[in-house]
Amino acid sequence: MAKVTITVNGEARTVSVPPETTLLKLLREHLNLTGAKLGCDVGDCGACTVIVNGKSVNSCLMLASQVDGFDVLTIEGLATTDQLHPLQTAFEEKGSLQCGFCGPGVIMSAKALLDEEPDPSVERIRDALAGNLCRCTGYSKMIEAVQAVANSVNSHPSVKSA
Amino acid sequence: MRAFDVVTAKDSRHAVALLAEHAPTAKVIAGGTDLLADLKFSSHGPAMVVDISRVEDLKAITITDEGLSIGALVTHTAIMRSPIINDMFPALVHAAHTIGAVQTRNLGTLGGNLVTGVPSMDSGPTLMALEAIIVILSPAGRRQVPMAEFFLGPRKTVLKPDELLAEILIPKQNLGKPTHFLKFGLRKGQALALVSAAASVWVDVDTQICSAPRISLGAVAPTVIRAPKAEAHLDGRPLTADAMAEAGRIAASEAKPISDFRASAGYRRELVAVLTKRALEGAYELAKTKRRGA
Ligand SMILES: Cc1cc2nc3c(=O)[nH]c(=O)nc-3n(C[C@H](O)[C@H](O)[C@H](O)COP(=O)(O)OP(=O)(O)OC[C@H]3O[C@@H](n4cnc5c(N)ncnc54)[C@H](O)[C@@H]3O)c2cc1C
Repeated sequence: MAKVTITVNGEARTVSVPPETTLLKLLREHLNLTGAKLGCDVGDCGACTVIVNGKSVNSCLMLASQVDGFDVLTIEGLATTDQLHPLQTAFEEKGSLQCGFCGPGVIMSAKALLDEEPDPSVERIRDALAGNLCRCTGYSKMIEAVQAVANSVNSHPSVKSA
Repeated sequence: MRAFDVVTAKDSRHAVALLAEHAPTAKVIAGGTDLLADLKFSSHGPAMVVDISRVEDLKAITITDEGLSIGALVTHTAIMRSPIINDMFPALVHAAHTIGAVQTRNLGTLGGNLVTGVPSMDSGPTLMALEAIIVILSPAGRRQVPMAEFFLGPRKTVLKPDELLAEILIPKQNLGKPTHFLKFGLRKGQALALVSAAASVWVDVDTQICSAPRISLGAVAPTVIRAPKAEAHLDGRPLTADAMAEAGRIAASEAKPISDFRASAGYRRELVAVLTKRALEGAYELAKTKRRGA
């Protein structure tokens, strides 16, 4: 067994898992964080996207032991009990999702982008979401939602650190 | 996935020692974007996985006496953000950008890309056109293999089970050489190359005479290849529109594309002619802007 200690959504957790366990499996089956989805399991669909040490990754393509000691942010870490994250609000307001399966991955990709680049161009947003497949929406409303958050962050710098 | 054990290497020396201890039943994991996707569908797997993702001494991008050294563990994202590489080889930045999507580029490494040995690897053609050298570490020491001799066939390289790809070296004489890379896929993101091409060339902008033209092609032969006849056609001659178009046609005759569900061999051959010509044009443009900037 591999002993893995990670900080998930701000909380330190230690688990023992078989060495071949992926980060996605660790999150879903050992930590009960089922927001990140198991889609293709080979990195094509992006439904499992989480943020590790500030970078978006496919959690299905990392071993749990490879994130030992690292900081992991999942979709569960964005909202508080009484407030959605601005990206979640924007996705809701714009009707950016239909079935919603790709949503957690798309939102984590968008969050990773905005954390590094608060005012991205449409081209940059498209590039950031290229690894997240959605078969319902056609992406336009997702891009609008990310733009809406980018604009509000720029007019109210205080929302940026959420 | 079948069960395996994992050991984590602290640095490159430790990685070599672990490989020596566990080869031939061990596999290296760097970014894992190729290995894990593979192991999930494989009926057999390694008993031991040597995790080199924390080997900090193979993550540097530096200019040394020998040239530009890129550590095997440098990710595609790190290549895109490197000021040195942006300045010297925009073609490498572009090639890195065409790989997968952000998530894959954040994990996937340059060394891992080369070791996969697939003919469609996107970092292959540019590095081959720049005559890169692969630096390999093993218990026997350090050896260097020219890129053109590194690949043996689809998914086969000269690396032995106890060898570690440590760094990729672009030799000093090619630093800043005008180079251009083009990939043609069925979509912009998340698509493997149907054909890719890279060209590097020194050009005397006054006479248009070019020297040391190097052309490399991806996804049209069992490995990434050079196109020596197309290169010979250009060497020492003026880089005119006709010459570049003819080099493209010659390169197409040197390619050995296959037909598959993505495209026919004939279509790929046409693409080789066009992409080779455009890659040469791109390198030439860069030669002109560099001169203007100087
Ligand atoms: C969704 C998706 C899209 C992709 N798109 C592209 C694309 O467009 N273009 C492209 O070229 N590739 C693509 N790839 C393939 C892959 O991401 C790249 O080849 C990547 O660079 C592999 O690097 P890695 O560090 O993840 O390798 P790993 O998976 O860690 O390793 C790959 C192989 O190399 C060996 N290895 C790795 N590093 C070393 C080393 N230093 N020494 C010795 N052996 C080593 C491993 O044992 C393994 O056999 C894609 C992959 C995915 C999942």
